[in-house]
Amino acid sequence: MSAAASSVLRTTLATLLSHYRRHPGQLLMLLLGLWVASALWSGVQAINASARESYDRAEALFSADLDRIERRDGAPLTLEDYLALRRAGLPISPIIEGELSLSSGKSDGESLTLIGIEPLSLPGSAPLAQQDGDADSLRNWLVPPYRVRVAPDTLEQARTLDDLPPLEIASDLPPATLVTDIAVAARLLNMDRGITRLVIAPKYDVELPSAFIRTSTEALASPGQLADSFHLNLTAMGLLALVVGLFIVHAALGLALEQRLGLLRTLRALGVPARTLILALGLELLLMGLIGALLGIVSGVILAQLLLPDVAATLDSLYDTTVSGTLNLPWYYWLGGVAITLGGLFSAGASMLWRASRINVLGLGQAQVWRARLRGQLRLQLLFGGILLAGAVFLWWYLASAGGQQDLALGFTLVALLLLGAALCLPPLLAGLLGLLARYLPRRAALLQWSVADLQLQLPQLSLAMMALLLALSANLGVGSMVGGFRLTFLDWLDQRLLADLYVRPAAEQYDDLEAWLNERSEVATLLPARSTEAELIKDGSNAGSVALFGIAPKPILRNSWPLLDTKDSHEAAWQALTTGSAFINEQLARRQGLEPGDSVQLQGPSGMTTLSVAAIYPDYGNPRGEIVLPVSRLAREFQAPPGTLGVVLAPTKDRQQTLTRLQEALNKRFRLTGENASGASLIDQQALKQVATEVFERTFAITRALNALTLGVAGLALLTTLLAQAGARRAQLAPLWAIGVSRSRLVMLQIGQLVMACLGTALLAIPLGLLLTGTLVAVINVAAFGWRLPLHIFPGQLAMTVALAVVVAVLAALIPAWRLRRVPPRQLLQEFAAA
Amino acid sequence: MKRLLAIALLFLVILVFGWQLWPEEPTTPTSYAGLGESTDEFRQAQPGTVLRFPEDHGPHPDYRIEWWYLTANLAAKDGRHFGAQWTLFRQAMAPSDPQPGANETPWASRQLWMAHAALSTPEDHRFSERFARGGVGQAGVKTKPFDAWIDNWSLKTVDDKSGFERLVVTAGGEDFGYRLNLDAQGPLVRHGEQGFSQKSADGQGSMYYSQPFFQVSGEVWVDGEPITVTGRAWLDREWSSQLLGPTQSGWDWFSLHLDSGAKLMAFRLRGGGETGKEESYLSGSWITPKGEIMPLKPNELSLEPREYQSVVGREVPTRWRIQVPDHDLDVEVRARHSNQWMNTSFPYWEGMVEVSGSNDGEGYLEMTGYADE
Amino acid sequence: MLKMTGITKTYPTPQGPLKVLDDVDLTLGAGESLALMGESGSGKSTLLHLAAGLDLPDEGSVYLGGQRLSALSETRRAALRREQLGLVFQQFHLVPSLSVQDNLALQARLAGREDDAWTRHLLTRLGLAEFATRYPEQLSGGQQQRLAIGRALAPKPRFLLADEPTGNLDEAAAAQVLELLQALIDESGCALLMVTHSAQVATPMQRHLVLTRGKLMDKAL
Repeated sequence: MSAAASSVLRTTLATLLSHYRRHPGQLLMLLLGLWVASALWSGVQAINASARESYDRAEALFSADLDRIERRDGAPLTLEDYLALRRAGLPISPIIEGELSLSSGKSDGESLTLIGIEPLSLPGSAPLAQQDGDADSLRNWLVPPYRVRVAPDTLEQARTLDDLPPLEIASDLPPATLVTDIAVAARLLNMDRGITRLVIAPKYDVELPSAFIRTSTEALASPGQLADSFHLNLTAMGLLALVVGLFIVHAALGLALEQRLGLLRTLRALGVPARTLILALGLELLLMGLIGALLGIVSGVILAQLLLPDVAATLDSLYDTTVSGTLNLPWYYWLGGVAITLGGLFSAGASMLWRASRINVLGLGQAQVWRARLRGQLRLQLLFGGILLAGAVFLWWYLASAGGQQDLALGFTLVALLLLGAALCLPPLLAGLLGLLARYLPRRAALLQWSVADLQLQLPQLSLAMMALLLALSANLGVGSMVGGFRLTFLDWLDQRLLADLYVRPAAEQYDDLEAWLNERSEVATLLPARSTEAELIKDGSNAGSVALFGIAPKPILRNSWPLLDTKDSHEAAWQALTTGSAFINEQLARRQGLEPGDSVQLQGPSGMTTLSVAAIYPDYGNPRGEIVLPVSRLAREFQAPPGTLGVVLAPTKDRQQTLTRLQEALNKRFRLTGENASGASLIDQQALKQVATEVFERTFAITRALNALTLGVAGLALLTTLLAQAGARRAQLAPLWAIGVSRSRLVMLQIGQLVMACLGTALLAIPLGLLLTGTLVAVINVAAFGWRLPLHIFPGQLAMTVALAVVVAVLAALIPAWRLRRVPPRQLLQEFAAA
Repeated sequence: MKRLLAIALLFLVILVFGWQLWPEEPTTPTSYAGLGESTDEFRQAQPGTVLRFPEDHGPHPDYRIEWWYLTANLAAKDGRHFGAQWTLFRQAMAPSDPQPGANETPWASRQLWMAHAALSTPEDHRFSERFARGGVGQAGVKTKPFDAWIDNWSLKTVDDKSGFERLVVTAGGEDFGYRLNLDAQGPLVRHGEQGFSQKSADGQGSMYYSQPFFQVSGEVWVDGEPITVTGRAWLDREWSSQLLGPTQSGWDWFSLHLDSGAKLMAFRLRGGGETGKEESYLSGSWITPKGEIMPLKPNELSLEPREYQSVVGREVPTRWRIQVPDHDLDVEVRARHSNQWMNTSFPYWEGMVEVSGSNDGEGYLEMTGYADE
Repeated sequence: MLKMTGITKTYPTPQGPLKVLDDVDLTLGAGESLALMGESGSGKSTLLHLAAGLDLPDEGSVYLGGQRLSALSETRRAALRREQLGLVFQQFHLVPSLSVQDNLALQARLAGREDDAWTRHLLTRLGLAEFATRYPEQLSGGQQQRLAIGRALAPKPRFLLADEPTGNLDEAAAAQVLELLQALIDESGCALLMVTHSAQVATPMQRHLVLTRGKLMDKAL
């Protein structure tokens, strides 16, 4: 660039920026929009990136891509099993795994997972083979005092544990995980000759002795896959926030352009080439973008740090995946954050640049003509909005008719089309509403008529903020109804499925004794035994992956309560069919495989191929996998399922709790289920189970709610900043009214009234949109993400809440400008009147 | 001393902790696989030690390294030559067991086991490698009856006796396997001074004895196809705590069956001669058909490489001239083919050779420490 | 020299095309002063815009310093404008966010030839020295117009094009501004093309032209 050209650019840029020195409010609003957009977005991305990093570490862990071998009879594995298989030539490796409690003495404290590996037999123990490769490493690993490897983010916690061998840093280990030699793990976990798990590399296609079964690594979905839908939800929320923030940016940029049109023309007349002007505006955008992105990313990281513990707890309880409680952000996160913010800014600023490039220099001093074009613009918006909505309808129809496997990305596209289409339609609809209102208002209510007409005039400036509000309100309503509906359904379902008062999981060798003993007890009304195992699903002659088999006892109490979604004939007939050779399948399996009652499934089990007819489909919320239900006796016989749990239903009694406690004590005494020398069995109270499930549920949606509330806040902010930005211009319009005798407090009320009117209109539109959104979430997104569909629940209280929220946002947003108007001295109003 | 290879242990280290280190070793001369490391706290092999059987067929846990090393020259009915190797290495990682009573589990052990099995066919070479820790019983050696095993590989007596008279050896990998019956036709022979075999001029060495008189019959499997074979085998037993001098870098080791019925064991430790690292330390044993042994001093034999071939990027001597003037031996020894590389965690060349000249015969050659170029 | 030959310009209107300028020739030599008169809507401003290269004629050519404007790129025309022309508008078109002194120096800075001594001289001559750090909105109409003249003269242009520079001022202020303008033109030696409908304003000019229905005629005063 020549010296002359650079001096033109420099002077132009300085002149453009001087505008913000005189109007810091606009600059603030612009930065606020950028800040909010990129803060929420990058906060969510920080959580996702951090969790993803944890998953990657978990998946890089040796055992993640290895097949597992277990005893068919469900008994714990021992050193003897290991030796027998090794001496039979099987290249297996033992792993001992357990929890080390951090707060000694307390059972509910945090814990670290201790994994003991046997490096000599472990296939490709990559995490061990890092950093120091000196010849002493293996020796150090295998002989006293041994070594423990730990990720940097777990080092502090690990240091609080006594009795640990010296610690070594291994940054690619998952969080909250200690890895050491199997000899150390066996000692610290009191395993002696016990083994938690035997693993084998998937490439070895060897024949196992019949006492063992092998579960392929593909059957065990990786933590990352399981939690994908959760993260997708987060991302969608972040995206919504980004869009709302960009609405603010767009409004601020539009305003700044509107106010600088004269300046731009003057500069052109003074000899600034159009290209230089656009370049300068672009540079200005870039500068703002960098500042906004920086602010946003910093606050995003802070936000993520606040939310992360909750997210980590949710993921832990939902998917049993461990996510580090501290942020670990890869370099590309930072770059990505800046790129998204700048990209968003330029997409919001593109129309400004385009308009600036088409300024007519000869328009110098001419009145703005956009008002005249307003009608055309509204029509265009309606057209585009209509096209998007039509697209949404089409997509809905397509998804509904496609059935079976649904695509989550398409689901979110549907949501996006719906939201954007509705947002585009909002200004024309509001304009139409106001037009109708104006027509039917009584002639004598002049002031009222003026305020409706004036509101119509204000629409172009207000519409972006209103669109943001519409999006936030309907998202709030949609997500709220979905969560509420889920809650109702889920709790109902829990009640139906958790019939027994107590669940006992005896050790394999004491199962029969314990069952007989319980059968003798008078306080026990019914025993509901259950077992589970795995089988390969065969489809069109080839293996379609493994499915879970669940065995239940179809006793009357169960039959009356167990929920069924769809049956071939009546419920009675379905249960009859179950006892005579048919099966039930869960909704997830039905959707994935496109199965209906009356179809049949083929299974490859230990005793060969079995074909089962599907008698019914049952809901199975929260289960990521496909599942088949069979009578428990058949599961034990044909699929060699190991003994599982015994559900104990108590006979009606006055004091349930007391009876339960006594039964538990008696069980413990007789079978040593807990405490020292426990038999490895477990005992769970149904109420405790429900409580845990409910807690998990509440946590799952805590984040969603938090982000939702933030988004609504941002929309309110958008409205406020829009109003503030044009407060000056508004006063000039109000001054004539004041001059002809409308008091200032009257004017204030008028303004608030106008805004409440606009927000109410928006809320009225947000209600159907929110309901549509709920419908999409439960019928499309949930099905694609989790494999089950929820019934649609509508909560009138929530609808009222949405309207109330809109009014509150409107009043809050109008309050500051109105308050300022109230305090403007008459002299200034007079001047503004004269200027107008 | 072939077996030096045994290098064993350390093998593990490398195995698990990335063998990238091996090629980029050092500027200062370092012995193969650390076998020259000082080992003060371990028991040392010494002249005057009396070998006792069958006890000495079993492990010697206080010595750092030890091996059971079998090589067999085999032929099918159609005359095709095969070679089989079966080796079990033991290494102690610490001079003594963990503190007794220190609440240790069965997994705690200072002993590491490594095994190599190989089958040379007329065209190629197949091998496999196994590792195990001591203590739990995944690998080990018992004497009554004799049984050496790791996983499903084993070398053990067929008649529940404790000696080496009749053994059966089994091993296999993905694409090969063998099961061979070994029938001893002569006595055990003790190398060096009644079993103490010196390995360098400054006196350190190992305990070393052999059974070189096995008649073999059995089956080998190549890609699942069974082939009936017969032939001759040689079993070496050796233990030590320091095999190589600090400056020795590798060795060439021969075990030869001569058609006269005599056997020759000879080795060259490179870089360990009397005048320093430039020279090699030579040693060997001449074994008569009846099993009488005559130790060969460094000046009583000569081993001379005659031809080098490139094997996986290394120049390795595959044709040798061996002379033992006292026994009128002047022969050429050549590899049946050069492709008998053991690409295990410690790589080396080990394969069948044929002997021609003053006396025909066959045998095995092992060469270690040939650097990647 | 600013030279316009055979200029024709037509605008579309709801009543059909309107020929605003019809084969107009005009020349402005160095140091000359010329008043362009005519009734409202006679095309005076259009002619001025064409002379400044803000717009291009349908037919005919505009030469500025020997270069034909319509043969130049928009960027080159803009460069000519900031380096050789000073423009004064009826509506002033000051930059509200820049101080008086920055407004005055704006075009000179754009042209890359800011001359501090000349800028200070202009500020003093225009009676704006004491307002240097104020903003345009704090000035009276006459002061704003003087500032606009100062901005146009600051880069020492060869031609000053003024469009009704006193149209927004009362008589007293107008007379003062005109006097000052004339004096500064004399000082700087630049040529002046001034559009005005007022004979009084036109009087001091060396030449007078009248635009009537798109045609240009000499006018004797």
